[in-house]
Amino acid sequence: MANIAAQRIRREFKEVIKSEEVAKCAIKVELLNDSYTELKGEITGPPDTAYEGGVFVLEIKVPETYPFNPPKVRFITKIWHPNISSVTGAICLDILKDQWAAAMTLRTVLLSLQALLSAAEPDDPQDAVVAKQFKENIEMFQMTARHWTNVYAGGPHVNKECDDKIKRLVDMGVEEHQARVALSSYNWDIERATEQIFS
Amino acid sequence: MEMMNTDDDSLCEDSGNETSGDDVDFNVEVETSVPKESQSYDDEYQYEVLSTSDIVQYMSDIIDEVNSVLQLPPTTARILLNYFHWDKEKLMERFFDGDQDELFKEANVINPFKKIPVTGKPKLSLKIRGTEECDICFMVFAPSHMTGLECGHRFCYQCWNEYLTTKIVEEGVGQTIACAAHNCPILVDDETVMRLVKDTRVKIKYQHLITNSFIECNRLLRWCPSPDCNYAVKVAYVDFKPVVCCCGHIFCFACGENWHDPVKCSLLKKWIKKCDDDSETSNWISANTKECPKCGATIEKDGGCNHMVCKNQNCKADFCWVCLGSWEPHGSSWYNCNKYDEDEAKAARDAQERSRAALQRYLFYCNRYMNHMQSLKFEHKLYSSVKDKMEEMQQHNMSWIEVQFLKKAVDILCKCRQTLMYTYVFAYYLKKNNQSVIFEDNQKDLERTTELLSEYLERDITQENLVDIKQKVQDKYRYCDGRRKALLDHVHEGYEQDWWVCKEA
Repeated sequence: MANIAAQRIRREFKEVIKSEEVAKCAIKVELLNDSYTELKGEITGPPDTAYEGGVFVLEIKVPETYPFNPPKVRFITKIWHPNISSVTGAICLDILKDQWAAAMTLRTVLLSLQALLSAAEPDDPQDAVVAKQFKENIEMFQMTARHWTNVYAGGPHVNKECDDKIKRLVDMGVEEHQARVALSSYNWDIERATEQIFS
Repeated sequence: MEMMNTDDDSLCEDSGNETSGDDVDFNVEVETSVPKESQSYDDEYQYEVLSTSDIVQYMSDIIDEVNSVLQLPPTTARILLNYFHWDKEKLMERFFDGDQDELFKEANVINPFKKIPVTGKPKLSLKIRGTEECDICFMVFAPSHMTGLECGHRFCYQCWNEYLTTKIVEEGVGQTIACAAHNCPILVDDETVMRLVKDTRVKIKYQHLITNSFIECNRLLRWCPSPDCNYAVKVAYVDFKPVVCCCGHIFCFACGENWHDPVKCSLLKKWIKKCDDDSETSNWISANTKECPKCGATIEKDGGCNHMVCKNQNCKADFCWVCLGSWEPHGSSWYNCNKYDEDEAKAARDAQERSRAALQRYLFYCNRYMNHMQSLKFEHKLYSSVKDKMEEMQQHNMSWIEVQFLKKAVDILCKCRQTLMYTYVFAYYLKKNNQSVIFEDNQKDLERTTELLSEYLERDITQENLVDIKQKVQDKYRYCDGRRKALLDHVHEGYEQDWWVCKEA
């Protein structure tokens, strides 16, 4: 069984490397060990989204029973998205769960994740806070996601206002990421974020 | 005399046998149409106990029956039948009245009458001509090593085996395994599964899943609910009737609970739910506490003085515990609460009395119900002590057949306890009328005689002379059984005559 898994990954690895998406630098896969059980994936943020210009790193773990069971994938790069946990990077996507099919590949998984970044499903959320913001205040969500992309994924859009607010909290002795999470969760309302941190 | 009483312990010896002995008995009675007391209510209900292989046979019989009309491949017929929950009439109706293409599409099978051109054509390997690549393991094989369903998605044998095994063993999917290709809904039929799966244990699990879904969706079949029993019972129509499985377990076919005559399934279900959930806790609270008339905080009175001051710091209301009215008009000189008739206070008291009465009523019935249930558990100990007694008697020149009356006595005792247990559920939901008074008398009689029999079997029997025992035991159990039947007959008559009025509780 493990034989099929390793065989598959070896072949898929070549498939991804040769694929046209790699040529366009949209997706990338790297091996982390010789047994083909752990890989590092990378996808770029799709154009015309808040994630544009960012590079998102993924942890891919291949189970013994692959490809009859889906690979376990999560985001290493922190991301602000309704279907991805802002804390753990866990992903809510049907093809990684019950809709997995044995004939799918790493390439299709990475492309599906990229598609997920451009089309969120706020009604089936992984991160309830993000999903709520997405549904109630889409501009605020876009701004926050763009800011996270800039800070964690190397995106080009610097948001001075956000950085200032975070700096004010950091000056009060708050850890930077904690400050960012609190501000993001409270629609960048610095008073409510402070209250939440110090309560 | 003994023969007359051999009735309902008709455990069938083999699977698939109808419990026939009693039916013969019953037919005689239909002709004479005189209800005899020893005739138990349930003998007319016909059913079969099926073993796993009987179930498989029964499934294929249904498939054959459908196919004699529809002329489909058996595997297609099976998927269609499963789609219609094994209701063959419904399938026939849809098949002949509706759009057949639509039907096959809904049930996720390829229309066998129409060989549509294969859509996804085999992926030919670019390197070597005349070979195919498996989309799962990416290996290249000769076409003879590849297989697939009518949808045209082909994979190698090894991958099919792995795929089906994962689905069956890990996900527990039986009837509805789809093709391994992404987004292809076409179902894998049982023949293909059996052909492609290699491990026998997986095959057995698969068959179990298939039979299970067959039983679950067929109204006329029910698994025996007793643990580790693999038999199922098949009936001609669903009814509130007892069925005896080959393992000896007796249960109600309609709901699957232990046989619970005289109470009906719906009330029993309500009762079990009531016993399980915590509704009585809240009843206790409302019966033993009062609410502050101002802020609504729950208060338990812990001293004699009726001048209550709410401890809620934001409330601090002064009120009278007796009438729940404000304390002020009570003054200090006259303790007699003259506010008794004030509407508001009266309503509060009434509500409290009602819930107190409801709680007491429930506890009354529940206690007795639980008590018989407990006793029933202890009677199993009695079986072993009776067994010793029977052996002792056999050593005193009594034959095996002659001492069976003792076991029979315990059987009857258990039956009586079980009936009694459920009479309390029945009584709990019963509104009082003339017939309910008769019912309670019957219940009292049965309870008294049952306790007598129980006491005799448990204690007095050791002091008796062996010869006297038989007569005494037989007298007692016959009387008990008679009382039990009288009670049940009366309740059943009441069901037919609509005497019983259900109480919402």
